[in-house]
Amino acid sequence: MSLLSVDNISVRYGQLTALRKASIKVDEGETLFVTGPNGAGKSTLLKAIAGVVTPREGFIQFAGKHIAGKAPEDIARLGFSMVPEGREVFGGLSIDENLRLGTGMRADKDQVAKDMEQIYAVFPMLKDRKDQQAGVLSGGQQQMLVIGRALMAGPKLIAIDEPSLGLAPKVIDDVYSTLIRLRDSRGLTLLIVEQSATRASLTGGRMVLMRSGEVALEGDARELVKGDALRQAYFGYGEH
Amino acid sequence: MTALLQVLFDALSLGSLYALGALGIALIFGVMRLVNFAHGDYIAFCVFAMLWPSIDAAAIVFAGNLPTIILVPFILAVGAGLSVLSEIVVFRRFRNANPATMMIASFALGFVIKYFLLMLYSSRPKSIDLWSNLTQQIEFFGARIPPLQVITIVVTIVILIALTAFLKRTRFGLEMRAAAENFTMARMLGVRANRVIMLAFAVSGMLAAAIGLILVTQTGTVDINMGANLMLVAFVATVIGGLGSLPGAVLAGYLIGAATVIMQVVLPPDARPFRDAFVYGAVIAMLVWRPNGLFTSKATKQRV
Amino acid sequence: MADRPSILERTWSTPVILIGILAALQLAALAVGSGPFNQTIIEIFIRVVLVVGLFVFIGNSGVISFGHIGFTCLGAYMTAWLTMLPAIKKSKLKGLPDIILNNKLAYGWGLVAAVIFAAIAAYVVGKVLMRLSGIAASIATFAVLAVIIQVYSNWDTVTGAQSSVVGIPIVRVVWPYFLCAIVVVIVAYLHQISRSGLALRAARDEATAASASGVNIPRERLIAFTISGGIMGLGGAMFAHSVGVVTPDTFYLGLTFITLSMLVVGGMNSLSGAVLGVVVLSIIIQLLRWMEKGVDIGGASFALPLGVQEIAIGVVMIVILMYRPSGLTRNRELVWPSNKLSARGKPNAPADGKTA
Repeated sequence: MSLLSVDNISVRYGQLTALRKASIKVDEGETLFVTGPNGAGKSTLLKAIAGVVTPREGFIQFAGKHIAGKAPEDIARLGFSMVPEGREVFGGLSIDENLRLGTGMRADKDQVAKDMEQIYAVFPMLKDRKDQQAGVLSGGQQQMLVIGRALMAGPKLIAIDEPSLGLAPKVIDDVYSTLIRLRDSRGLTLLIVEQSATRASLTGGRMVLMRSGEVALEGDARELVKGDALRQAYFGYGEH
Repeated sequence: MTALLQVLFDALSLGSLYALGALGIALIFGVMRLVNFAHGDYIAFCVFAMLWPSIDAAAIVFAGNLPTIILVPFILAVGAGLSVLSEIVVFRRFRNANPATMMIASFALGFVIKYFLLMLYSSRPKSIDLWSNLTQQIEFFGARIPPLQVITIVVTIVILIALTAFLKRTRFGLEMRAAAENFTMARMLGVRANRVIMLAFAVSGMLAAAIGLILVTQTGTVDINMGANLMLVAFVATVIGGLGSLPGAVLAGYLIGAATVIMQVVLPPDARPFRDAFVYGAVIAMLVWRPNGLFTSKATKQRV
Repeated sequence: MADRPSILERTWSTPVILIGILAALQLAALAVGSGPFNQTIIEIFIRVVLVVGLFVFIGNSGVISFGHIGFTCLGAYMTAWLTMLPAIKKSKLKGLPDIILNNKLAYGWGLVAAVIFAAIAAYVVGKVLMRLSGIAASIATFAVLAVIIQVYSNWDTVTGAQSSVVGIPIVRVVWPYFLCAIVVVIVAYLHQISRSGLALRAARDEATAASASGVNIPRERLIAFTISGGIMGLGGAMFAHSVGVVTPDTFYLGLTFITLSMLVVGGMNSLSGAVLGVVVLSIIIQLLRWMEKGVDIGGASFALPLGVQEIAIGVVMIVILMYRPSGLTRNRELVWPSNKLSARGKPNAPADGKTA
């Protein structure tokens, strides 16, 4: 059984349909990329899973529980950790407090201190400035912080919305190499929204392509990028 | 020198009341973007809780006869209880409403509380003698200062320190500060929305109760409108301080208190009756100069 | 952008329906003809003027103003100064200029002067404040109200300070109030469909897009603020002539909130909401007042205790807002059933009622 399965969900904002019967599955330990053009409904998909928007129809199952329409905090407590678009650090809280915020719901309190050490080992820059306000960090540093913050919540799955948005290419490389390292060392399950299919193929994993609120294509990231199907699906002239 | 000391004490004690009021309003605004106009009526309600319901002119003191050590926690609990109750019964249903709708709903709630008190106690102000020895003046370096002023200032400082410690050092405090900055993100990290909001209401209600106790000791009367004016100034202070900023609210409260007392001293006698007009004029100038308040955090600027 | 005739064609039925509602009230007053009933209808017409006045600024700009009742105060005192008997003025309000002190105008001129005075005051205030938005603007307008009330409550020789100014000529017939209400509804409607009104509504819903397409938001707000200030002044003057007494306290928070509540309960983004909010809440208030006085039910007299009326109004308001957060009209305008479709497509009627 999949860790996360999204089954035919639809989301509307007023008159606008953002998701139309979209379905995805994420298995334990795998990396799934969700890609597609602007307005394809990628972010809405994550928000629906996180409980920030409520789907009009369809089912969402996470860790064996139905979660569609549940409150964000209840979904987070099942082990779904979200890194939303635009990072959303708590600028007025210290870096240490940002990291500790998600630990309140963990049952394994003795593990928290160890995890904190690990996070600081992976991001030494955060440790140096742990008592400073998070608002002073640069975009790349903030991205590291929110990934660290998501990890501190002790999640079964981390969902990241556009980790490369607004970052310099060099910094994007850093972010992804850190993600791969963490994934491989800790056996994380990742769900990443990423506009660049190339970036997905470099990282490796499964990929779904969304267009106009629907899942248009699904397969191995590297295979898809090699073939023609992706471009056709992306630009929408695939079906003759 | 003594005159200066007098002004200083007056300004600090008036500012303390405003600061406590502004803090109560800013706490709620921080977690749910609600400007709670019922706050002033919480103050009145807490004071009336000391009396037995009766529409007679004379106050029948009831809970007010309890020993101080029980009375104070009791009144604080009344404030917290009323505030949390209004969250559960009313404000919870307005979480997704726009700020104007919430504001009017809070006004309507205040209206209900006020007329509930009127129904039970009538609209006539009643006098009540609570710790009246505190208002007798004592000499302090030549200035005549009632101990109540000193107590007001000290109590406010203690409350501020306790609240700061609560916000900075406890898990609840961390969650509240996070929720005030970005509620949705906090929830996505497992922060329980209902718990944080109820806690904010409880603290806010206790602050209202504290103000009520100070006011009733100062004036020796209970009146269904006793919180209204203070609430308005506190509300203005919250905005001048930068909405969502708790230190800002406190500082702005003291600033308005100081401005009021200083105007009283420096204005020519003919203009003194217009003191409040000058204070509000200064408020307008301040808002035009700094629309986002004196101490705006980056987070609130984007969202308000 | 649609051109003006087509907007007029699509929306003209709204003011017609609203005036029809007001006319029904006027007819009821004529039919009943009793003094107290007339006074009730007059009160409703005054509130219609005040709430529509609020709507012109708040509804169209999306900025909540707590200060408009200040302009009502200005209007009320202006007409009092102009229309009272010189003898009374000389004994109570000695500080007035001689030309006012020695003359007395008909109440019609008092109304006109009230509108002009309040509109000028609103223009001056708006010139300073219209750069602000959101809560800062709301607080600034409240501060304006506080300044006006503080000055009027303390300026002994000109306003009589906190004591009542009595001796204002009382107008007991209903039709002048009816006429004023109609004029105000038409003015509000014309402003709403004017270029300036449309631009302001566009800015309310999409501030960035509107200012990017050349809408000068402070200027459009200032126009609306001035017009609504004038209307509030008219309402104040009407109030002064309906009861013959004014005090500064009348024009403070109580009136501010009751009028704002009527607007929000009706639906603050629509003119129909302003009128309906007044009518519905006024009817509820009136029913409760009667019950407070005591009603005979099956021979037994039954009266509500004092205070229950207000408690019930508060509860009704909360319940309406809970189930209709965007007001009774859901921020839509009332239109004939035949052109409902085109009206629903109006760009300025968002269903969710979100404001800036």
